Amino acid sequence: MPATVESYVPPPPGAELLRATSLSLRWRVSFDRAIGYLLPLLYLVALLPIAWIVYWVSVHALVTLNWSALTDTSPLDTHSLAVPIISTFYVMLLATVIAVVFGLFGGIATAEFLSERVAGWVRTSANLLAGTPSVVVGYFGYFAFVLYFGWGLNVISGSFTLAFFMLPYLFRTVDLAYTSVPRSIREAAYGQGARPLQYLLRIATPIAFPQVLNGVFLAMAIGVGETAPLWLTLEQSALVPTGLFQPASFLTGQIFEDYTSGPGTPGIALAFEAAFILLVVVISLNIIVRIISARFRKRVEGLFQ
Amino acid sequence: MTAANASGPPVLSVRKLRVRAGKRTLLDDVDLEFEQKSLTAVIGPSGCGKTTFVRSLNRMTEMTPGLKISGRVDYLGQNIYDPAVDPVLVRRRIGMVFQRPTVFPMSVFENAAFGLRLIREEENEIDRAVMEALQRAGLWDEVKDDLNRSALGLSGGQQQRLCIARALAVQPKVLLMDEPCSALDPAATQRVEATMDRLKQEIVIVLVTHNVGQAARVSDRVAFLHSGHLVEVGVTADILERPREKLTEQFITGRFG
Repeated sequence: MPATVESYVPPPPGAELLRATSLSLRWRVSFDRAIGYLLPLLYLVALLPIAWIVYWVSVHALVTLNWSALTDTSPLDTHSLAVPIISTFYVMLLATVIAVVFGLFGGIATAEFLSERVAGWVRTSANLLAGTPSVVVGYFGYFAFVLYFGWGLNVISGSFTLAFFMLPYLFRTVDLAYTSVPRSIREAAYGQGARPLQYLLRIATPIAFPQVLNGVFLAMAIGVGETAPLWLTLEQSALVPTGLFQPASFLTGQIFEDYTSGPGTPGIALAFEAAFILLVVVISLNIIVRIISARFRKRVEGLFQ
Repeated sequence: MTAANASGPPVLSVRKLRVRAGKRTLLDDVDLEFEQKSLTAVIGPSGCGKTTFVRSLNRMTEMTPGLKISGRVDYLGQNIYDPAVDPVLVRRRIGMVFQRPTVFPMSVFENAAFGLRLIREEENEIDRAVMEALQRAGLWDEVKDDLNRSALGLSGGQQQRLCIARALAVQPKVLLMDEPCSALDPAATQRVEATMDRLKQEIVIVLVTHNVGQAARVSDRVAFLHSGHLVEVGVTADILERPREKLTEQFITGRFG
C-alpha cells in the first residue's frame, strides 16, 4: 500500500532525510508503485487462456447439450455421449486403481525403506516417466499389453496404459507426502519403540493420507484428459463395455474423432459436448483437491513448523 | 563416579563408548554409570556430543545414517549393543523426550496411549496406564476434562509434558531427556522441572541441558562433556561450586558455551 502524504510535516533542520526528495529517488518510488498496480493485472493474463477456453467450449457445447445426450445409452442414438461417459468412468476407475496400487507401494518404499541412493534413482526414473510424451506411453502400451501380452485393443490394455501414464504423478505425491512428515515426529515414534510398519500405519499414513488423496484426484484429472494412451490401446465402441476384454469409447477419443467434422455437423456438436464434460470433470477434481487441502491444513495445524 | 543417592547396581552403565561419524569422533571413550532413582544432568557447550551421548543410550543413534558406535551400554546387565538385541525393544524400555514437543496429530489420550498400543496392551489396562502417566507427568489436572481433544491444541509446555507422559506410560526404568525445555517459556520450563523433580524419585533420568541453572535446580549429579570427552562427573553442588577441572569452571562461569 502506498503511504499517505496528507499529514506531512517538514523534518526538523539537520534531521536525516527519510523522504525521497531527489529526482531519481522519486522516480524509483513511483516506479515501485506502478509495478504494484501492474502485477495484479498479470494475474488476469494468466487467467485469460483458461477463462477463454471455458467460455468458448461452453458457448458451443451448451447450445446442443441436453439431458438425453448425457443419459441415452442406445447404440443407435449417435447424438448421445452417455456411452463414452460411462466407458470413460470405467476405464478411469480401473486405471486409477492400478496406478494407486503401484504408486502407493512405490512411493512409500521410496520415502521410507529404500536407501538414499536407490531412492534417488527411483525418483529420477519417475520424473523421466512423467516427462515421457503420452503418445510414447500409448505406443509402449500398444506393444506391451495389446501385442506382447496379446490382450487386444480393449478396456484392460487401455486402463493399464493410462495407469502407466498417471503413475509418476501419483508416485511423486505419495513419496512427497511421506517424506514431508516432520523428522521430529518420525524420531518420536521410533524413539517410543515403533517398528517401521507401526510408524507407517499409525503415524505417517494418517498425516500423509490427505495429500495422497490429493495425488489420486490430480492424477485422475491428468489421466481423464489424455488421448494418446487410450487411442492406441482401446478400440472405439458404440456400446458400454461389459467386461475387461471389450472395446470401449472414451471422451477424449470422441473429440479426436469428430473435431474435423466441420461447423454445424452433429460430429462437431458431440466434440464440443465431450470437451465441456471433460472440463467440468477436471475442474471438479481440482476443486475437490482444494477442499481436501484446506481441511488437511486445519487438521494438522501446528504440526509442520 | 557414584551417584549422590547410590543404591544397588547401576541401571545403565556406559563403558568405553565411542561414536564416530566418518573421521570425526563425536564421543571418545565415555565411561559413566547411572544408578537407580537419580537425575544426572549432562552439560557442556554446543556440539560437545551431549545429544549424541543421550541418543546412544537407547540406540536412537541408528536413526542417523553413518554413525559408528563402539564400546558398550549395559542396561540392567545386558549390553544394548549386543547383535542379538532388538533396538526397538531397547527403545520401548528406555524412553526419550526431545528438544521440541513432538505430539502426534491425534487426541491427548491417543498420544499418551501410543506406546501402550505398540505393545498391544489390554484396553482397560490402557485407560488406567494413561491416567497414571498423565498424573506422573503433571498434566492430568489440565486435560482430564477432555482427553479426546487434539493434542496439537495444547500449549508448548503442555505438549512437552504430554510427551513425557507418553514415554512414562510404558513404565520405563530410564527416561532420556534431550534439552526438554529449550523450546519452552520460563513458566512452562518450571512445570517441566517440577515434573522431573518428582520423577527422579522413581526412575533414572538422564537430562541433557545447556542450562547450568537447570542442572543446579533439578539434578543430583552433573556430567560435563567437552568435545566428546567426559571431563568430570560428580555431585551437582560439588561440580558447580568446586569444579576440579579448569574447563568445567570456565564453562559454568560462562566463559564459553
